[in-house]
Amino acid sequence: MPDTQPILSLKAVRKMFGPQAAVDSIDLDIAEGEFFTIVGPSGSGKTTMLRMLAGMDTPTSGDILLRGERINDIPANKRPTCMVFQSLALFPHRTVGQNIEFPLKIRGEAPERRKARALQLMDLLRLPQSYYGKNVLKCSGGERQRVALARALAYDPQILFFDEPLSAIDYKLRKTLEKELKDIHRETRKTFVYITHSLEEAMVMSDRIGVMRAGRLVQVGTPQQIYSTPNTRFVSEFVGDVNVLPVSIGHDGKLHDATTGLHLKAPPIPRDFVQGHMVIRPEFLRFLESPEQADNAVSGRLYNEYALGSRIQYQVRVGDSVFVVEKLRQQPFTGRLDDEVIIGWDARDAILVTD
Amino acid sequence: METRGQRTRHALITVWTLAVIVFLYLPTICIALASLTASRYFQFPISKWGLDWWAKTFNSIEIRQLLSTSITIALCVTVIAVVIAFFGALAFARYDWKGRSVYQKLILLPIFFPQSVLGLALLLWFSTLGLPLSWKTAVFAHLVWIVPVVTLVISIQVYSFDPALEEAAFDLGATRWQVLREVTLPVLFPGLFSGALFAFLLSWGNFPLSLFTTGADTTVPEYLYAKMVAGYTPGVPVLGTVSTIGATILLIGGYGLILAMRRAKTQDETGRT
Repeated sequence: MPDTQPILSLKAVRKMFGPQAAVDSIDLDIAEGEFFTIVGPSGSGKTTMLRMLAGMDTPTSGDILLRGERINDIPANKRPTCMVFQSLALFPHRTVGQNIEFPLKIRGEAPERRKARALQLMDLLRLPQSYYGKNVLKCSGGERQRVALARALAYDPQILFFDEPLSAIDYKLRKTLEKELKDIHRETRKTFVYITHSLEEAMVMSDRIGVMRAGRLVQVGTPQQIYSTPNTRFVSEFVGDVNVLPVSIGHDGKLHDATTGLHLKAPPIPRDFVQGHMVIRPEFLRFLESPEQADNAVSGRLYNEYALGSRIQYQVRVGDSVFVVEKLRQQPFTGRLDDEVIIGWDARDAILVTD
Repeated sequence: METRGQRTRHALITVWTLAVIVFLYLPTICIALASLTASRYFQFPISKWGLDWWAKTFNSIEIRQLLSTSITIALCVTVIAVVIAFFGALAFARYDWKGRSVYQKLILLPIFFPQSVLGLALLLWFSTLGLPLSWKTAVFAHLVWIVPVVTLVISIQVYSFDPALEEAAFDLGATRWQVLREVTLPVLFPGLFSGALFAFLLSWGNFPLSLFTTGADTTVPEYLYAKMVAGYTPGVPVLGTVSTIGATILLIGGYGLILAMRRAKTQDETGRT
């Protein structure tokens, strides 16, 4: 029989700071071996939530269960979990080797065994063996990340928590480390719970993502689900640039643009939908020769263009609003700035959200 | 190539620096020279040189008693002050609590209180409480003034301490005690060390507080003052020089110790690679 019990369960977890709920009635199950990422803007309560999971804060109410056992009141040093901190919190007075061996030393393991394990972990994280005696302050940013991760792995935790460890790292290195982290997850088969404010980062690594806003989980799903079927305007906008049109159901029972009154073709409309927003991602908008080439079309003025590497983004002014259109660089397009253009999208590419 | 203007400027800077150093150290050097006289009285220029007074000073049981009193007081003050100031500095700089800013200002007050008045006030307190005056009451008096200073010295180190270090150690399985021993204390060690040096030297050289609170016991600064007011012998500059040299050795030794520790660490690194 497969083990279907979640490794970590949250039941109506709430954390109050004074009258303010930093984390509010969170219910969540995290499966064994999963890479779960909590995404949210700063102040959304994700750090507070992680600190409760790691045992550095206790919930005001609700339960946190580890393999079915309530761990609310077990302090961090007694939990089989470990955290990689935003500042990494490497011990500055110790070498790379001593940092990695720290949890083993605390556990009272013999020096030879500690060293063997440290070197093994350094191998796993592609740190040269010669770094064993190196002052940790003399390591580069990426190396420090690896040392911090190796130290956490040396603890042999059942769950590893990550508190935005990559946020202070430059873009290119961050992209490399994201992939490395995913590789490490595969190799160690441990449960990873990661928090970040970047959904892009979450998408690269995660099996599932939970989006947090004002202390609540707004949506939980696979990266694919979060990307293509966001359940709120907030989630849809979190992914990146999107076009959001206020829409409502008219007297004719059809969907209309709330500002222009234009009839819009849409995917199947949820039964209780009265008004909300239509979300269209920039890559689903395209330039048309004539309005009939797509389900919905508007015309406007080509206002600006930005080269984004493999893609080019255009801004098109339609009335008072601005549409964002993206196309791949190799797709032909002859429009110039200030040209009148027609842009359109198909009903199946649009998403309806209620708030 | 240096231009003429630059050369003049460099020369001026050198002269100025030398002048400052001479003004700073001339008195100390004069004291040392005064101790090398063979005659009974203080006169300049020195007519007869000799180490007689050094020998007399070191053979004197009274002087040995003085040194031992001063050292005992300074050591007691150092140990107690560092322990109190360590926790005081944590409250000062590490933890955020209600009333912290009031505390931060209150703790500074004893430093700016005139020491002789503070000494008198403490004397009155000790007699009100019926405590017999001795070097032990002097330790207490020194602490009143020195603990705030040492608290500030250690706080500077605590400000640069990342609290996540303690959380990380705790999260990695350490008990509170292990966190303190393995992380907090070693990381804050440079601050504690300079705090200890400050405590020792401030106690060693303190006169106004000792004057009121040592009772029958006498410290080196007290003795020097008494002898200068009445009954000067070249033993005074001898003891003054000894005191200065002792403080210098302590400072240089402390600095050397920290350097040696750093070097041992780097050698450790290269040795293992």
